[in-house]
Amino acid sequence: MTDKSYAEEQLTRATLDHCVKCTICETACPVSAVTPLFPGPKFVGPQAERFRNGLSVDHSVDYCSSCGACTLACPQGVQIAELNSQARAVMKKNHMPLRDQLVSRTTLMGTFMTPVAPIANMALDMKPVRTIVEKVVGIHRNAPMPTARTQTLAGWLKKRPKPAEPATRGPIVYFHGCAGGYFETETSKKAILVLEHLGYEVLVPKQGCCGLAQQSNGLFEGATKSVLKLCEQLRSAGKDLTIVSTSGSCAGMLKHEAHEIMGVNAEELHDVGARTREMSEFLLDLYEAGELDTNFERNDITIPYHAPCQLKSQGMGMPAIALMELIPGVSVVESGQACCGIAGTYGLKKEKYDIAQAVGAALFKMVKETNPDLAVCDTETCRWQIEASSGVKTVHPIWLIHQAYGLPDPR
Amino acid sequence: MSKIVVIGAGIAGLTATLRCVAAGHQVTTITKGIGGLQLGQGTMDILGYMPNRVERPLDDLAALADEHPDHPYAILNADAVRTGVNYFAELVGEDLLVGDPERNVFLPTAVGALRPTALAQPSMMAGQLSDGDSVVMVGIRQLKDFYPGLAAQNLARSTLPDGGRAAVRATYIDLPARKGEADATALTYARVMDDPTFRQLFVTAVKKVIEPGEKVGLPAMLGLKDPNSWREVAEGLGTEVFEVPLQPPSVPGMRLNQTLVDKVKNARVRWVYGSQVLGGVAENGRLTGVVAGTTGHNVTFPADAVIHAPGGFESGALELDSYNHVFERTFDLPLAGADNEELLHGNYWGEEQPLFRVGVRVDEQMRPVDADGSAVYENLHAAGGIIANANRWREKSGDGIAVASAVRAADSLSTPTTAAASGAMDSKGDN
Repeated sequence: MTDKSYAEEQLTRATLDHCVKCTICETACPVSAVTPLFPGPKFVGPQAERFRNGLSVDHSVDYCSSCGACTLACPQGVQIAELNSQARAVMKKNHMPLRDQLVSRTTLMGTFMTPVAPIANMALDMKPVRTIVEKVVGIHRNAPMPTARTQTLAGWLKKRPKPAEPATRGPIVYFHGCAGGYFETETSKKAILVLEHLGYEVLVPKQGCCGLAQQSNGLFEGATKSVLKLCEQLRSAGKDLTIVSTSGSCAGMLKHEAHEIMGVNAEELHDVGARTREMSEFLLDLYEAGELDTNFERNDITIPYHAPCQLKSQGMGMPAIALMELIPGVSVVESGQACCGIAGTYGLKKEKYDIAQAVGAALFKMVKETNPDLAVCDTETCRWQIEASSGVKTVHPIWLIHQAYGLPDPR
Repeated sequence: MSKIVVIGAGIAGLTATLRCVAAGHQVTTITKGIGGLQLGQGTMDILGYMPNRVERPLDDLAALADEHPDHPYAILNADAVRTGVNYFAELVGEDLLVGDPERNVFLPTAVGALRPTALAQPSMMAGQLSDGDSVVMVGIRQLKDFYPGLAAQNLARSTLPDGGRAAVRATYIDLPARKGEADATALTYARVMDDPTFRQLFVTAVKKVIEPGEKVGLPAMLGLKDPNSWREVAEGLGTEVFEVPLQPPSVPGMRLNQTLVDKVKNARVRWVYGSQVLGGVAENGRLTGVVAGTTGHNVTFPADAVIHAPGGFESGALELDSYNHVFERTFDLPLAGADNEELLHGNYWGEEQPLFRVGVRVDEQMRPVDADGSAVYENLHAAGGIIANANRWREKSGDGIAVASAVRAADSLSTPTTAAASGAMDSKGDN
């Protein structure tokens, strides 16, 4: 071992030589499209990498939102976003802002806010409080913040009655993510009810954070600890079981980001990553195998749908579209936009907030014009961003499936 | 209805996908990234040089086939090329491609040469110059990649198709696309040109530097999404304008690519973007599925037939290792021309490099064949840059081969249904 970190001596550099400078990534970048502060993925990635000996030659890489649109677009297999995430981690190593350490501790936020949910929510709704937070911590006053619940998902699971029907299909592991455990518990509950309706015994092991927010802020050490702990927790539910997640971005952390960005090479990560399925991916696989109950109630609705950047990065297409359109009457309009702007915690930061809003502007407009009452998106922070900026209620695809099966609201 | 998997999303993959959709198939298109269309000029080349400049590309295909009996155009013939080109033109519409596949036009490039192509974007067509034309090439100080002086000087000394010359001068305007940006790309300009307010600023600035009676040559950046942007500029200036394609990011290429990708997505093709195809699953000489490496795990997409349109060397579909061994990365298909002792010779400016003719040999149904001429897999068809025996760069034949082979492949798919039917009659695959 040398004393250099993985990010300084990463393997992703090997993909650098595949770059033919074709600029395809430049055309896909949603950030450089709206601000000259970010010179584009090719420039701060494959181009600048040739001048880096550990440290970046300038700070423009900090404006990369890590949405991954560049890596996805690259026909040569250059891991541009990964290179940039690594370069940023090296750059911020010795002067990590307190703000970036705070916003990436999602479990901590949930743990503190749940017991005092009404007070926390009220405080986050108050302009003067947010102004102080912006000044002191650097989180923009208008940035979307999660709503705390008085009951966690774990609390609900303990108190709810056991499923009436016995499981016919065997056990499955449900990975809800921090947001699904503390803030968006409704989505988790609906997902569990749908899986139970399909005949699965849903196992929900105690689970912590996947570390994605820490990773995207360059806090690789903490993120690695988090993701490995989570892998052990998910494995504790049983060997070889399929793991299903409603948290689009966190599923991506397990499937590839922890390995490709931070170089985590542990057996438990590969095991969990290979078994993880994003919820719509899982349900569409069932459908294609002829094993999905398609006895859906009609729902005449046109839905604006945005696939989050970190869901698209998983390279599986957009299974949610085909899945939702199995419901009679449902017509989906895809946003066609790379990213909503928030990109995890990027759009919360006071110096990035305006950029994030500009990145999402076309999406917010499209959502409002397509259906002012309901939009669908697979990841929590993206939903908060779309809701806050368009005023349109935004839900996970599982909400429509839950409704179409005629299942009761979770109590 | 059959399940078709198309590999690749360049000009061949997108054309094949839409042709299969039109035939009522259920299509999955798997692509490693954005296809090569937006790296091109946004035009449709059929045949430009052989080696002299070609005026009537479809008429000259026969002569090319005589000279190179293994050339893809020898297998496809002029009718197939006409069908393919017309189909493609119909897909993108008259806002994006006009012209006549029978006759080449000669359009100024960014270095001031005249380039032959068959169909071009309407915004480029005024670049067909005649003897005595007065032309001004207008650059923008804050736009990189376009040097009007270079273009003007070369163009002024070029002999035009009618044997004459044009008077060409160069000038600049000063108009940043975004505040504080000194070296924007054409794409940045194209995006702001979609905004009528900026368009007006642009027209006002150009008006100040042009003389009455001049045709105006402009870098290809007159709007990305708004197909009428260039017309408004021409009307505002009160004269004819023509766009000159630049190096990538190519705005005209992006227009074609985005139009086709939108069509593919709206047709509810399963669009698997960002994953590489690793190989196939075969049974009794047929492919039954295609394996893609998505994150976390591999996925097998079931297929009744497969259209393989991954491109050639430029996209990594063909690889050359350090032992001078060329191989096809996805299915390890047999390659024609790969056993040449000197695939690359040292004379960069000399004779053509044999490596560039390497690819898969195909039958009439565009199925890759082995040395004996039998199909490697009964239901695997190829399209575009992976097909052997063309020197696309020199001939300017890549687009024509791509669309003709894509349409032929899609029209002669060997699915279990057609395979059963062809027991009774020989399916040639011509439409």
